Amino acid sequence: MTKEQFSALVPQFERLVYTVCFQLVRDAAAAEDLTQDTFLSAYIHRDSMPQGYERQWLARIAANKAKDHLQSAWNRRTVLPGDQELPQGLAPPAEEVALRRSGAAEARTAIEHMKEPYRQVCRMCLLDERSPEEAALALGRPVKTVYTQLSRAKRLLREELERGGNHGIS
Amino acid sequence: MVFRDDGHLSAEALTALARNEDNFDGLERLEIAEHLAFCDECLQRYAMALEGGTLLIPERSCRQTLPARIRSRAFHLAVSRYATAAAAVALALTILWGAEPANFPRPILPEDRPSVSQQLSGLTGEISDSLRETVSGLSNFFNDFRPSRFM
Repeated sequence: MTKEQFSALVPQFERLVYTVCFQLVRDAAAAEDLTQDTFLSAYIHRDSMPQGYERQWLARIAANKAKDHLQSAWNRRTVLPGDQELPQGLAPPAEEVALRRSGAAEARTAIEHMKEPYRQVCRMCLLDERSPEEAALALGRPVKTVYTQLSRAKRLLREELERGGNHGIS
Repeated sequence: MVFRDDGHLSAEALTALARNEDNFDGLERLEIAEHLAFCDECLQRYAMALEGGTLLIPERSCRQTLPARIRSRAFHLAVSRYATAAAAVALALTILWGAEPANFPRPILPEDRPSVSQQLSGLTGEISDSLRETVSGLSNFFNDFRPSRFM
């Protein structure tokens, strides 16, 4: 794709890309930055743009940029105080401790009541003891996404089991 | 419900998202973005839902700033490539230089240097050999002109 051809895409799809970014991040300034990041990334990889599917391809890049933005914001927000106190490797993850303490039956019940996209991942990895890679293949999800969902699901399970509330559980 | 039991986004969630009528919390937005980042089926459904609505207009268009950003990125990529190539050449030369031992001339140590008498006897021998060769050569030269050769 030539630079001129790419230049024609920007006015054609700018509103679509901005809409996708804004509807996911709900922040106008961030959405504008992500729109520019989307087109920059598209320009760099313009040779892999599928002919006739520019709309979907750009929407996919925009969703990825929004995902990265939201993940960064979420990680900054959910690091609990004291999580960094113990050196790594000296103590088991708090989620593992909570699961062991709660008992297998209670953990199984909590997992079965989880909402998607966590229930299937937890069932496969925590109950069936399959690896995240196997779960990713079975569910048709990227491996990195499965690891992220599993990590988040364990945290939600821990909160549920320790509180006995319904956060994250349907 | 944001997700169906099969793990895909529900029609209600996609419609609400596309019409800006949703009230998803931060975690739900993150989950939706993660799913749209890899699921072709849901992305296609979302794109179709967007077609039925009005697309938003950004306050600041990226058309003005994008060309400068692309040029800046291209410059940084080029510099990075040249720096990488230069580092590779330097490494290759370092490996080549270190592959064989360098043959530096060994300095002549005082104990290895010949004595004066050894030098003189050597020189005398050289002179004798030169004189012998010269005489032999002259003798052969004159032998070529002996009358018996022309008779």
